[in-house]
Amino acid sequence: MHPLITRRRFLGGLAAGGAAAALAPTLLTACGDDSSGSSGGKKTVVFHNWPLYIEGDDPATSPTLTGFAKASGLAVDYTTAVEDNDSWFDKFSPDLAKGKGVGVDIVVLTTWMAARMVERKYVQAFDAATFPNKKNVLADLADSPWDKGRTSTIPWAQGQTGIAYWPDKAGFEIKSMADLLDPRLKGRVTLLSEMRDTVGLMMLLDGKKPEDAKVADALAAIEKIKAARDKGQFRKITGNSYTDDLGAQEAWASVAWSGDVAQLQAEKPGLKWVLPAEGAMSFTDWAMILIGAPNKAGAEKLLNYVYDPAVAAGLYESIAYRPPVQGAVEKMSAEAQKNPLINPGAGVKLHEFRVLTADEDKQLAEAFNAATQQ
Amino acid sequence: MAVSAAGRSTPWWVPWALVAPGVAWLGAFFVVPMVRLGTLSVQDGGLSNFVDVLADNSEVVLRTFWYAAAATLAALVLGYPLAYVIATRGGRAKGLLLGLVVLPFFTTYLLRAIAWRVLLGGNGPVVGFLQAIGLFGTDDGILATDIAVIGALTYNFLPFMVLPVYVSLEKVDRRLVEAGQDLYGGPLRTFRRVTLPLSMPGVFAGSLLTFIPAAGDFVNAEFLGSDNQRMIGSVIVANFAKEFLKPQMSALSFVLMALILAGVLVYARLLGTEDLA
Repeated sequence: MHPLITRRRFLGGLAAGGAAAALAPTLLTACGDDSSGSSGGKKTVVFHNWPLYIEGDDPATSPTLTGFAKASGLAVDYTTAVEDNDSWFDKFSPDLAKGKGVGVDIVVLTTWMAARMVERKYVQAFDAATFPNKKNVLADLADSPWDKGRTSTIPWAQGQTGIAYWPDKAGFEIKSMADLLDPRLKGRVTLLSEMRDTVGLMMLLDGKKPEDAKVADALAAIEKIKAARDKGQFRKITGNSYTDDLGAQEAWASVAWSGDVAQLQAEKPGLKWVLPAEGAMSFTDWAMILIGAPNKAGAEKLLNYVYDPAVAAGLYESIAYRPPVQGAVEKMSAEAQKNPLINPGAGVKLHEFRVLTADEDKQLAEAFNAATQQ
Repeated sequence: MAVSAAGRSTPWWVPWALVAPGVAWLGAFFVVPMVRLGTLSVQDGGLSNFVDVLADNSEVVLRTFWYAAAATLAALVLGYPLAYVIATRGGRAKGLLLGLVVLPFFTTYLLRAIAWRVLLGGNGPVVGFLQAIGLFGTDDGILATDIAVIGALTYNFLPFMVLPVYVSLEKVDRRLVEAGQDLYGGPLRTFRRVTLPLSMPGVFAGSLLTFIPAAGDFVNAEFLGSDNQRMIGSVIVANFAKEFLKPQMSALSFVLMALILAGVLVYARLLGTEDLA
């Protein structure tokens, strides 16, 4: 059985995770040169990523990072510095807005935040000479309106947002988001505080497509969430920590991220994962090179290494996310190729929220916050 | 020029030099962030942000102060007798007993909250016992209730109540208690008329040390509560990093501070703190 590893589950193993996070900055993946990327050394690539997005979540033993170090002679200063999009942006955007580097080469952020980074010119275009494997990106991810031709962002991983539930606790089969509003689950449902995931799923329930989202449709979905919340339907509307309630069976059904569920199922096989009949959301996290990156060429070499299908096969089989690299699935084990989290198949209806304008983003963020956090 | 007790004069600048590091520290790490927070709080909406956040979060605000007040009262009810026994009957074991009071602080705050979660969880011993004796059904629980959050707040801040009350009781002149008894005061009356008034500085200090951090807490509500147990801190921590909500969350932070300050002033007035020094 391949190791099932998730991201965004930092609260679940808080004590160990905290210690690891504290130690992580000191862990270099190679012993050749320990010069700091932020000090201008060219032997280190500084990489900020989400938790559990490399093998074992351990840069010292990750085959991808150690393999890169061996092949390139470059060390990777890899930290799980991205706990969520907002907090990372909040911390580093003041310097980026002044055009200053922040001592970081690569960061991985979700689509809507990646689009904001591109729009505000906080990222640099890739150099084709040092990143030739960019051509291996999956065709459906090779272009987007917010980064034409994928000039400065490249997908790191793609996951699904659906429903996880305990059938014996719920007492009935959950097939749709409508089931999460069933009074039998009152006070036992958690929603994600990521607006696009939760609102997107509610819009799908209303028959609206999040990729074509109109503000009025999103507001209608938010109103539906608020009405259910006012009746006490939801235990929590939260971020990563939903896995605590779900894992302890305090929550019986949760809007959940696929990678987290894979991890929970490895420990508790009774937990069931379903994609809502009306459609599920997907999320993509994008790697990008920041302005003022101390080692841009090294960062491109690292991305180029990951975009080798043979390397990607090992990485994504381990972390159980859909690989964004053409030819990677074919190089995985037969078991991994059958895993719907890695290889969802053509029949699965996945949607991604369209990139909102700043005004729309503000309007929906405020409405969602008022409906779910006050 | 000041004159010391020994008769030698102290240069005028010495007190300033002693105060300067603390003032500089507070200036850099309290005043400057407060000014920045204040500036943020009036961006994109001005002063109406304060009214709006108070109106939008009125339920959470009331709940926060209800939890903090309940935890403070519970800590006083539990902590006063404990401090009294240690101060008056502790003997040689006083040091050991005080050590036991602060022992939980040798583990991190977060781990204590997680431990409570395990203890009160659906599969934990407390719920298991209550189910075994028939008080709870299979789906009943303690987590996600007011009791869980208030209980954890009380537990976490109990030493902040016990220690100042202990210090006050320790300073009570036993001859005054004996005088009360000589004047035909029974144990309860002597306690009420002599010991309790003399220990009020400790009660006041302990109440503040418990109430203020309890009102600003969010960890216990996060780990032990649900959507219905959110506190002001929960709202701020969940939203402060969101770019569009920064002014509102800054305003809410100020509202929290202002309400705590107002509460403390009212409390001081009620207790007559000018007599407690």
